[in-house]
Amino acid sequence: MTDISKDAIAPPRSFLSQDAIQVFYRLLAALLICAVLAVLSDSFLSLGNILNVLRQASLTFFIASGLTLVVLTAGLDLSVGANVALSACIAGTVIHKTGSPALGIFTGLACGGIVGLLNGVMVTALRIPSFIATYGMLWVLNGLTYWYMAGETLHGFPAGFRQIGSGYLFGLPIPVYLLLVFLGIGTLFAQRTIWGQEIYAIGANPVAARLSGIPVARRLLLVYAVSGTMAGLASIIFLSRLNSAEADIGESLTLPAIAAVLIGGTSLFGGVGTVFGTFIGALILTLVLNGMNLLSVSANWQPLVTGIIVILAVWLDMKTRRRAQ
Amino acid sequence: MKQTLGYLALPLLMAAALTTQARADGETIAVFTKNQTNPFFQTVRVGADNMAKTLNAKTLQYIPTKPDSIPEQLSQIEDVVVKKPSAIVFTPVDYKAMVPGVEKINEAKIPVVNITDRSAGGKFLSFVGADDYSLGLETARFLLKTLGGKGNIVIIEGVKGSLTNVDRVRGFNDALKENAGAKLLASQPGNYQRLQALQVMENLMQSNAQIDGVLAANDAMAVGAIEALDGANRKAQVIGINGTKEAIDAIKSGKLLASGDYNGFFQGCLGTMMAIRSLRNQPVIAEIVLKPTVITKDNYQPFDVPLEQRSCPTFEEASKLGGK
Repeated sequence: MTDISKDAIAPPRSFLSQDAIQVFYRLLAALLICAVLAVLSDSFLSLGNILNVLRQASLTFFIASGLTLVVLTAGLDLSVGANVALSACIAGTVIHKTGSPALGIFTGLACGGIVGLLNGVMVTALRIPSFIATYGMLWVLNGLTYWYMAGETLHGFPAGFRQIGSGYLFGLPIPVYLLLVFLGIGTLFAQRTIWGQEIYAIGANPVAARLSGIPVARRLLLVYAVSGTMAGLASIIFLSRLNSAEADIGESLTLPAIAAVLIGGTSLFGGVGTVFGTFIGALILTLVLNGMNLLSVSANWQPLVTGIIVILAVWLDMKTRRRAQ
Repeated sequence: MKQTLGYLALPLLMAAALTTQARADGETIAVFTKNQTNPFFQTVRVGADNMAKTLNAKTLQYIPTKPDSIPEQLSQIEDVVVKKPSAIVFTPVDYKAMVPGVEKINEAKIPVVNITDRSAGGKFLSFVGADDYSLGLETARFLLKTLGGKGNIVIIEGVKGSLTNVDRVRGFNDALKENAGAKLLASQPGNYQRLQALQVMENLMQSNAQIDGVLAANDAMAVGAIEALDGANRKAQVIGINGTKEAIDAIKSGKLLASGDYNGFFQGCLGTMMAIRSLRNQPVIAEIVLKPTVITKDNYQPFDVPLEQRSCPTFEEASKLGGK
């Protein structure tokens, strides 16, 4: 560690900063969507449906929370979905072979983390732009997973393990507890720790960050490893909730995670955004699909509506950001 | 001019070579399937390999690394045309978009059999497939018969606009129309994905207190819907399509009512058989449309056998399987 004080590295980020204003706008948007849905559908405001939405948003959030840190450093991790698929297939095999959920969970997290670390090495040591490095990794992971699974499906896991994704504790789904925990950890880490501040600083200006003594390479390694580990966690939740793993689950997970980060107000140019914003982003995406299911919107219109929401959210973001500056 | 003559002479020479050694073995058959992820195509490939082995031929498998990728299959066709296999067994990743690819194969004069999804154009020596419409119709009829012709039904659709989905869902809907007591509550997209189907089912259960039957356009979505029902402690009869191993297990344990199957294994066998027979100047069947099987707890046993242990039908059996 260097002896440079926290203040010299980056302005301290209180929660009432520009980021807070952005989060406020997003909350407002989410509430607006809720209000509209509550008027249109009787079943929307039921407790069951609210828990339902939170549980569904949690999987996207787990993947997107780690991804937020990567995007904060002006990077991108396109391999998260493929990482979830490989980690799920490997963790699933370990549970089948050993009968030990604990060992499976450990393997899934480790597999995700190692993939993330490899991404980090490509970005820092080999200096490959993160977009390219993680895109390459996406293909490597897909190839490995398709070869490993050979068109088969893993299914049937112990009831205890199934509790993680499908169980309830005091009336709340267990993934919702995990969501709250990781939302808390992610927010505290980004806003309240020196490492978190250094990540913002790297994203805002990598040269200035290096000159102020921030070990940029090590922080980037950390960020990619965290993103990979969160993909590993998502793979465990996926396995336990769906009771199965197959090779092609990744593709449908990557883009919603990236969309959640962007709708949540984290800038692709780095240095701006919050983990809490990403949570709202995941929530908005889930709410829209939930609402369309409740209202029986035709299958034809669903991708279109989702696309418009993503574009609107990013456009509003640019608009409010300009006003705030 | 000389070159043109050469091109004209080539097929003649090839035909001559074929007639002289009409029973020669060792042909190479290039087998094109849509992806490495759907278990259905795995059964197609095992069927093709099985048949080729029986007839002393070889297969080369061509599978897009990115599932159902149109540009990738197109470039694989370009590679194959250069490599000149004896014949091609072809499933288009997209029945319309791959027509130019098929035309390239035709131009290269490589004999080609169309399997699974019927191509919208191009010349094929034979088609082996099944009818997604009757698959949807028969499985849905079975569900409605089980429910006594009435009840609240939801449909979970595959990828909107894909040929398989359009026909299967049309079959579902026609079966519903035959039963005046059945009420369609919703027809929502799950994109053939397990997670999406699970979430759609969770959402639909919020707005519908009573769901009696679920028609899912594939097995992965059917199993996803069952997970959602289990999670909410609710019961409904669920059907899927594809006859995957997972679906058979679910039928055995009573969680899944039925799965529609159109025998990917036979499609692989028969496609390869027709390709090799045409190379050996033996008669081929121009069109085989396999009848759908509704796999239920009463007839799952023949499907509960590892792929490696299944055997291909003979030509005589094939001609009784819905050939034209």
